[in-house]
Amino acid sequence: MIKLTRVFKTFDGGSSYAVKDLSLTVDVGETLVLLGSSGCGKTTTLKMINRLIEPTQGIIEVGGKNVMDHNPVDLRRQIGYVFQGIGLFPHMTIEQNVEIVPRLLGWSIRSRRERMQELLEIVGLPAESFAQRFPDELSGGQQQRVGVARALAANPAYLLMDEPFGALDALTREALQQELLTLKNQLKKTIVFVTHDLHEALLIGDRIAILHEGNLEQIGTKEDILDTPATQFVQDLFTIKRQGTLI
Amino acid sequence: MSLDAVVAYVVERLPELWLRTGEHLMLTGCSTLAAMFIGVPIGILLFRATWLRGLLMGVIGILQTIPSLAMLVFLLALLKKIGVLPALIALTVYALLPIARNTLTGLEEVSSEIMEAAQGIGMQEYQQLLMVRIPLAAPMIVAGIRTAAVVGVGIATLSAFIGAGGLGQFINRGLALANTNLILLGAIPAALLALVVDFSIGAFEWGVRPKRKRDKKGSLQWLMRRLAFMLPVALVLISITAYFTKPGWVLQSATQLKTGHKIIRIATKNFTEQLILGEIMAQLIETKTDLNVERRFNLGGTMICHSALVNGEIDLYAEYTGTGLTAILKHPVISDPEEALSRVTKAYHERFDVQWLKPFGFNNTYAITVRKADAKKNHWNRISDLGNTAIKLRAGFTAEFAERPDGYPGLRRIYGFRFGEVRDFDPALMYEAVAQKEVDVICAFATDGRIAAYHLKPLKDDRNFFPPYHAAPVIREEILKTHPELGDVLSLSGGLIDNATMQRLNFEVDGKKRRTAEVVEEFLKAKGIL
Repeated sequence: MIKLTRVFKTFDGGSSYAVKDLSLTVDVGETLVLLGSSGCGKTTTLKMINRLIEPTQGIIEVGGKNVMDHNPVDLRRQIGYVFQGIGLFPHMTIEQNVEIVPRLLGWSIRSRRERMQELLEIVGLPAESFAQRFPDELSGGQQQRVGVARALAANPAYLLMDEPFGALDALTREALQQELLTLKNQLKKTIVFVTHDLHEALLIGDRIAILHEGNLEQIGTKEDILDTPATQFVQDLFTIKRQGTLI
Repeated sequence: MSLDAVVAYVVERLPELWLRTGEHLMLTGCSTLAAMFIGVPIGILLFRATWLRGLLMGVIGILQTIPSLAMLVFLLALLKKIGVLPALIALTVYALLPIARNTLTGLEEVSSEIMEAAQGIGMQEYQQLLMVRIPLAAPMIVAGIRTAAVVGVGIATLSAFIGAGGLGQFINRGLALANTNLILLGAIPAALLALVVDFSIGAFEWGVRPKRKRDKKGSLQWLMRRLAFMLPVALVLISITAYFTKPGWVLQSATQLKTGHKIIRIATKNFTEQLILGEIMAQLIETKTDLNVERRFNLGGTMICHSALVNGEIDLYAEYTGTGLTAILKHPVISDPEEALSRVTKAYHERFDVQWLKPFGFNNTYAITVRKADAKKNHWNRISDLGNTAIKLRAGFTAEFAERPDGYPGLRRIYGFRFGEVRDFDPALMYEAVAQKEVDVICAFATDGRIAAYHLKPLKDDRNFFPPYHAAPVIREEILKTHPELGDVLSLSGGLIDNATMQRLNFEVDGKKRRTAEVVEEFLKAKGIL
């Protein structure tokens, strides 16, 4: 379980807040989507969960323990992270990229190898043809699959995904979204997923948290939000969406 | 020179060329390696300690701007040693800047996105540096090493000035003897070497780049990568072989070493007359005693020879009374030759434990020299005659003459005039410069063969300003004590050479481009000594 209690974050000593008085809970096995436009504080929130950024005020708990009481390196090794810009290491092969966290954790070469093959299988990139390649030899979609495999490598209970499909073309994005849905049902991870794409949020999220200028506008299931928008901002967001699409 | 002659010329010098190339590679390789081991950590340190950056890069940058020769002479004074060590240190210092700077730049340029990923998946700081940042900066770091190595090949040619060998030895000797062939024999291989070094490091870089899957094991590409990787290693191995195995055929041109006997190390400064005197002393010792001779010729000037002698790096060289008196002892000029000799003999014995032996006979004093045609037109016979016109004349002096108290500064004081413009020249180029009318006045040496060859006229020193410059062997007393026969043998050359003879010998080598050893052997045989 991930729990945020009255979390604030300011980067300029208090003149403005990237995150303001944010409280929310992500239940075990649940996928929570943080939805909002750029600058709303969603990525900052995500990074505070694994201490890439530290909160100015408030408490963040992962698995019942305040993250500030964790050793940040150990904490990060327990949380899978899929980066916005993919973030694969260009000088390492796909194999080396996938097994990096198990390597940091000191797994044996053999169990690392087995895990790597298993994971590449799961994300649809058979090891025999992909393990020895380098990231720049793969398409964007394939690279992001590797990014997901890397995040899952040490079998973490938590997965943070920062707009993982943002840079992909529409077709690839849709395919990967479907795969993620399957994966999610299969693996039962606790996932926090950041996006600015309404459609993606509705598709993937068990619950959705809508952020605007650092404030939490509403948090709830797809139905809650569509049926009873809590604020004018949320209502406008979905009105515009409805007019434009078939939802 | 016809092609055949060129080939013959090179083939004849092949053993020495092999030796010098080996030395050159050794100097460049070792200094680049040393600079790598210092420069890369400095780059990493600077990356971490931002506050140190300005200061340390500034210091390294300033070191870089010190002219190479000044750096060598400075290190010589500091270490009290000639030879490989100061040369290696100087080369290492020059190689530091490109390596440290490229390391820093390479580390800084790794994208922050990738570094955030490294941090985000849970790498410790040192792991981020070792596993991600440094590997990604590697191409930039290697590029810095490549620059340093190529520049190093060039600078290493100057090492010959302080007796460290290398291809600069040919260039140096060529400059001393005004011999273009010798200069090219050093310069062309040095340029080729720079290309080879550049290529081999480039190949190395390509070879170690993470291999791609398309490189099937055993394929041509795979094989080439391994070969490329080995290239710098092979180069270093060759240089070590060349440096340490001085096989018989390399030394044949010197003489057969008499095994088990002491080696006498003879030095010379870097001009023709010194090479001839050095060769005379060497041949006398080789033929008349059981001792071996090592020729450490062509050192870059009086101070280098003197400090090498005093520090026991060499045993013997030919010095001039006037030089010893004014440049070494800082004593005022003494016009009487006998008194000058007894004064230096006494002072050298007391201060340096060095003995002056019997002078060769000639007096190679400075001669203010002009073109014969100018002298005739302007009725110049004595130095005083230049008086009023001096300010309109351009002078070309050796660097030593321009600074020494018995050189230009004293001349100005005694004669009361100065020249309009003074330019520093290499001794060998000075005569060329006056003949080509680039300058009007030079400080020729009285025994130089080129005075006649270039139609020049030395002016009479009517105020007896220039001190006598009688050349004589100066030898460490320790060596003289253990080998008293050296004194007897070297005294055979006492009074042997007058000014006209010295001019002729100089011209044989300078003007006719004959080999020093051959001219000396012929001369000693004619005198009935050999």
